Amino acid sequence: MLRFLLRRTGALAVVLLVLSAVVFLLQQISPGDPARAALGANASRQAVAAERRRLGLDDPLPVQFLRFLGHAVRGDFGTSYRTHRPVATDLATAFPATLELVLAAFVVALLLAALFAASSALSWPLAGIGRGVLLVVATAPPFLLALVGIVVFYAHLDWLPGSGRGDGGPGSELAHLVLPATVLAIAPALAIGRILRAGLEATLAADHVRTARSKGLGQAAVLARHVVRNSIGPSLAMAGLQLGFLFAGTVVVEQVFSWPGMGNYLASSIPTSDYPAIAAVTLVLGAVYVVVNTLADVLQTAADPRLA
Amino acid sequence: MRFSSIGRRTRTLLVAAAAVPLFALAACSGGGDDSGAPKAAPTDGTLTVGLLGDIGQPPDPDVYYANNGLAIVLNTYEGLVQYADDKDSVEIAPRLATTWDVNADNTVFTFHLRQGVTFHDGTPFTSAAVKVAFDRRTAVKGGAAYMVEGVKDVATPDDLTAVVTLSAPNSAFLDYLASPFGPKMESPTALAANAGSDDTQTYLQTHDVGTGPYTIAAAQPGTSWTLKRYDGYWGDKSPFTTVQLPIYTDASALQLAFDHGDVSAVVAALPSSSLKKYEGSKDYASYLLPTLQSALVTVNPTKEFFKSQQARLAFLQSIDQKSLVDQVLGNRSEPATTLYAKGMIPGGADKQELTYDPSVMEAYAKTLPAGTDMTIGFASGNTNAEQMANIQAAKLQALGIKATAASYPTSQVFGWINDPTQGPDAFFDGNNGPDGGSPYMWGHVFWDASGGINYFGCEVPEVNAQLDRAVATGDDALYVAAAEEYAKTGCYYNLSYNKDWVLAQKWLTGVEQSHNIGANELDFSKLGIAQ
Repeated sequence: MLRFLLRRTGALAVVLLVLSAVVFLLQQISPGDPARAALGANASRQAVAAERRRLGLDDPLPVQFLRFLGHAVRGDFGTSYRTHRPVATDLATAFPATLELVLAAFVVALLLAALFAASSALSWPLAGIGRGVLLVVATAPPFLLALVGIVVFYAHLDWLPGSGRGDGGPGSELAHLVLPATVLAIAPALAIGRILRAGLEATLAADHVRTARSKGLGQAAVLARHVVRNSIGPSLAMAGLQLGFLFAGTVVVEQVFSWPGMGNYLASSIPTSDYPAIAAVTLVLGAVYVVVNTLADVLQTAADPRLA
Repeated sequence: MRFSSIGRRTRTLLVAAAAVPLFALAACSGGGDDSGAPKAAPTDGTLTVGLLGDIGQPPDPDVYYANNGLAIVLNTYEGLVQYADDKDSVEIAPRLATTWDVNADNTVFTFHLRQGVTFHDGTPFTSAAVKVAFDRRTAVKGGAAYMVEGVKDVATPDDLTAVVTLSAPNSAFLDYLASPFGPKMESPTALAANAGSDDTQTYLQTHDVGTGPYTIAAAQPGTSWTLKRYDGYWGDKSPFTTVQLPIYTDASALQLAFDHGDVSAVVAALPSSSLKKYEGSKDYASYLLPTLQSALVTVNPTKEFFKSQQARLAFLQSIDQKSLVDQVLGNRSEPATTLYAKGMIPGGADKQELTYDPSVMEAYAKTLPAGTDMTIGFASGNTNAEQMANIQAAKLQALGIKATAASYPTSQVFGWINDPTQGPDAFFDGNNGPDGGSPYMWGHVFWDASGGINYFGCEVPEVNAQLDRAVATGDDALYVAAAEEYAKTGCYYNLSYNKDWVLAQKWLTGVEQSHNIGANELDFSKLGIAQ
């Protein structure tokens, strides 16, 4: 197990290094002038040239890459051309907001997935309608889903806030979380739910479950003792994968709901070629994705050492 | 096929498929809280102005060089002069200076300052602050630092007099000071107390040190800003003790929040396509107010397609200006008839002489090899410019030219000046303008390659020289001559005079009186509640 952990940690470092190089190279080939972005449209040519020198944009590429890498290792992503604040300071505000949204969405996704799978495997009455709604809704683009959610639950019904993160009170924050978290959760819920349903159906048809039932055990007891534990393995792996995808999904959802997280920060940084900000968000999201998947692998291996 | 013959799973899917459109239909139908009924005025003294998008940079007046954050900068800081509010042409008006004198050669500007003004830290505003503010702008080296580059000396013979001497004559200097991006007065005491290692830049990311009618009470960059009324303010005091500025990153969400009554006013943020819904509405107030901004066409002479002046002029003559402006921009704009912004040159002497004549382009097209391609660019996300570029591309296609419209991110657009051959053949700008109201601030940025918005570096040395001579003297005839000379290049077409669209709840008063031609923003201290 130790060797497995060391191997995965080494692979993680290599992936992050490659990701850094790719991000850096993408910055170099991207069109746009960061110095102009930093100073604004009407700044003079001389001021822009001075800004390019100050930002080190005239240095040779290897020098720029080594500087970028050295700073990134220390958690220093430079100063945002757009906000004029250290990118690390911006991320310190944006990352918790994204984490909060993603974790809330993950919980919603797990609940919906469980309902989807259970209703299907156990043939609950009227459950087909719920499953159908989830199936159809999951095919809609997230921005459309988000807008319909705002129109229905904020503008018409006035049940939930339509944008922002609330005024700081826990009740307000929770209310603001409901819509974006649910929209973000729909697609992962379906993905996890399908795997879980397959697992449940297979287990429900297994001999040991039939034996348990024939002994006179009630439905709840059969499910708790013999079905659920034996069915969730593959869906846990899928849940880990979806948790990584959820971070990527925040870009659209955060924009529509004006959620002040990393996705929103990234979307605002791209049009202005704010390279330090774009690189930092890409690296952080990439690292989170890789770490989450590594953890999922580790958990799976812990559960079944034959995978190591 | 009878319904009962359909499988259980299929039936379920059909029911579910019907559910989503039903939700959408419910959303679009009447009823609910967005039925359009007038919304009640706030009773807690809070005005809510919705911003579209993060303000980007910190609202530090020596750093901020963007758009919607001006709502914060201009309500917390004041300059010596400003452009008069509620006017459709530029007129320098008093602010912290009540009167001023300018010597004959535009090198010495004497400002007589307003009495009884205090900064938000309680310290009095005196002439010493003028020099401190100019020095800080130079030290911070932001994009608008050019406005004080020519300042040689600031003398303070007494507390209420500041004498600014320039190193060279500049008739646009008052416009620099009146510009929304011009130098603003900052408390020398507060600047020194919070200087840190970066000239107070860190402190001013979330605080202010101005004299304006409001002061920053809470800052959540990217989320919302809160302003509190400064009760020591020397001027008008609004009934709004608090101004909330929540940030929306999606225009539809902002519009819904306005309809819902959660937002009191929206300034220059919603797309023109939403205009029809509000124009003439009895439930909302919609204002189209003057700005210095225009829709423009810029032509790239470094591209083979537009190498000759004749080709460029033929292209510009093929643009049906009136039809294009009416069709795409509607009531938010009117066709431009001058080379500078509306009202910049008295009497409209800078007349734009281009006449619509598609036959000239048709004749040019016949000289080109069949299927010659060309690209018309527009800035990403600017739906008006996109529509104009598409319409013009379609017209060229009808002439046998393989014309396409293409989108470019703003940062790329501003990078073309380094290598214009990387740009498209022509570019439609949906909305652009100068920092201030002087013709020099227009001609220099759009026509001189060192100006910033001359994307394709199309310049005429004599025009640059004429503009430099004109700015020294303020001679309108020189400005007109420079403009007419530049128009001959075929690189430039002023398409329209654009207006600022302000949407407000019916109970909000003073919108026109608080609007300034130089900035798409409102002076919150002049707003009120209808009785």
